[in-house]
Amino acid sequence: MKDFLKVKNIDLSFGKEKILNGLNLEIEKGSVVAITGESGSGKTSLLRVICGLESPSNGEIVLDTQTLFNDKISVPTEKRNIGLVIQEKVLFPHLDVRKNIEFGISKKNSKEDLSNEIMEKLNISDLAKKYPHELSGGESQRVALGRSIIMTPKVLMLDEPFTGLDKKLKTKIYPVIKSILQDNKITSLMVTHDLNEVRALADKCFNLQSGKLVEV
Amino acid sequence: MPLLFIVGSIFSGFSDNFYHLYDNLLLEYSLNSLYLVLGVSFLVTLIGVSTAWLVTFFNFYGRNFFQWSLILPLAVPSYLLAYVFTEFFDHSGTANNILRNILDAERSVIFFPNIRTIFGAIVVFGFTLYPYVYMVSRVAFMNIPSSVIEASLLLGKNSISTLFNLSIPLIRPAIIAGITLVAMETLADFGAVQHFAIPTFTTGIFRTWTGLYDLTTALQLSTILLLVIFIFLTLERGSRNKIRYANSATTNNSFKPVQLKKFNNAIAFVVCFLPVFIGFFLPVFELLNWSSQVDTLISTKTIIAAKNTLYISFTAAMLTCLIALLINFAVRSFGLPQPINDLLSAGYAVPGLILAVGITKMFTNIDTLSSNLDIFITGSIFGLILAYIIKSYAISNNVLNSSFTSIPISLDESAQTLGSNRLSLLKNIHVPLLRTGLITAFLLVMGELIKELPATLILRPFNFDTLSVSVYLLASEERMFEAAFPGLVIIIFGLIPIYFLNNLILSNNK
Repeated sequence: MKDFLKVKNIDLSFGKEKILNGLNLEIEKGSVVAITGESGSGKTSLLRVICGLESPSNGEIVLDTQTLFNDKISVPTEKRNIGLVIQEKVLFPHLDVRKNIEFGISKKNSKEDLSNEIMEKLNISDLAKKYPHELSGGESQRVALGRSIIMTPKVLMLDEPFTGLDKKLKTKIYPVIKSILQDNKITSLMVTHDLNEVRALADKCFNLQSGKLVEV
Repeated sequence: MPLLFIVGSIFSGFSDNFYHLYDNLLLEYSLNSLYLVLGVSFLVTLIGVSTAWLVTFFNFYGRNFFQWSLILPLAVPSYLLAYVFTEFFDHSGTANNILRNILDAERSVIFFPNIRTIFGAIVVFGFTLYPYVYMVSRVAFMNIPSSVIEASLLLGKNSISTLFNLSIPLIRPAIIAGITLVAMETLADFGAVQHFAIPTFTTGIFRTWTGLYDLTTALQLSTILLLVIFIFLTLERGSRNKIRYANSATTNNSFKPVQLKKFNNAIAFVVCFLPVFIGFFLPVFELLNWSSQVDTLISTKTIIAAKNTLYISFTAAMLTCLIALLINFAVRSFGLPQPINDLLSAGYAVPGLILAVGITKMFTNIDTLSSNLDIFITGSIFGLILAYIIKSYAISNNVLNSSFTSIPISLDESAQTLGSNRLSLLKNIHVPLLRTGLITAFLLVMGELIKELPATLILRPFNFDTLSVSVYLLASEERMFEAAFPGLVIIIFGLIPIYFLNNLILSNNK
């Protein structure tokens, strides 16, 4: 199958420290790729580079047929159509669950239908009127995931999204996430250090070592 | 820009007036300013540190009340306490009358010396400005870990010895920061020293400009004062950085207050009661007393002045908060260098009088350059609004800066990945989350601007009196009873930000 996301020769440094060193990655459409690696190896930085939240010093990123980054172009984050779910609390505290999920949708007519559908799939419909501070860790992560998925992103980045959830909840949530990603053919790149997570969700796995990816 | 016009004046040559001032008055201005700063610094340290120490480490009668009431004098502008003191301790004033009645003395007997001296001014500034030292000392005392105090007590040091050998050295940067703020306020004051007829830099600048009509010499005098102010500003910034360092090294488990008994309890009560009484309740009671002696309590002039005050301070506070919001947003989202924001904040240190002189010079130059357009901005409301914004930017910036810091950057990034552009990020995420910070900043700025006198006095448009100007003009004509009600309104407005300040201190305590 043709590669959907191509990351070529990416260099990223913070000061004198080289984080990514000529990194290459190719992901097929609809697949889930996991990236593992030691703390501080640059896993999160790679996701941030693809999202446009960090600017690499060199390299090229192509999504489908659109060049997102090269030495001449840098598409702003909000125009890349890439979803990001991270481990930190990222729900907007002043908005309830429904409004959080609908935040990124501009189509007024279909807003409610879409959010209802997503909430149903993630089994969070009863949380619609709750505010982020009233949610448990697992509920928050599902809302954050729903908020990203509703945008039908071309690629979904998951940065250790299940850290902090207990084992029981994780076992329950993995199949739900897997089926949502598969049903919607969402190409995903997931950073994790949990091998169970890799087994449950990923089609392919890479290890990030010295700024480069090695297939596991 | 206004400051550039002030400093630029030293390159435009020195007139005879400047040499006259240099030969005859500059030394007097300098010495008086120095005595004032030294005297006030000593008094505010004594009051501020001792009261903060007592309410932090001891339990005594009225402690809960003093915890918040000790900052009430912040609502009373120095010039207002100066007017009250002058009348209260006057030959026929309330203080002498009370003592004469008690001691059954003749009307010719005078118990209190003339208050219109440099010592009187030190007392006035001391009792209105000590809350600056009290607040920083209180927060710093609360940040000392209980284990440190307990270790000192276990090593055989008593409370007094622990205070001088441990607590004060630990919070020294905070005390210095508080004192330098007080010193800057003292040097910048115009209303109180003018009423007490003490020749200082600010009264000298005012007289040179309005008496000798020599704007250039007034600007040159301002440059000298500005130089001193910036030395204090540097000192304050340095101390503030040390406070941050000290706070980061400590854990917040404050010391459990020790119950004071009998004599010590009474002493603690008196030490805390006197500053609140002299700095707040005395002027409020005296102003109420004066207000009750006028036929028309609320005159048309007072209503117009109150309306003008609200209108101008509301507009300026809104604009200041909007500018601070946009600049902090630009720092956070567009990478605007933080030092630019810090530079804008330095405006609070510039005395209102100097700011007014600089703005007038700038506006007259603009008017000269654009004379063919037939639009004149000198003497318009814009000058006053500009002065207010420059003067109060630091207050709104401090509040909004810390409010922005409390919003995790991950929320910005999430909004961006969800397709939000910068404007939508500000409108839909930042502004709703900053609502409390924005309201607090707005009220703090407004409370400060309502009290402002020197810049308002000079820059107000013709026939545009505010409450502070009304009080000043009435007091300068010795019409104290009529000045009382507008003075009380100023204090009431000033109490609003105090309420928020108290909440900040109490939340820090929690």
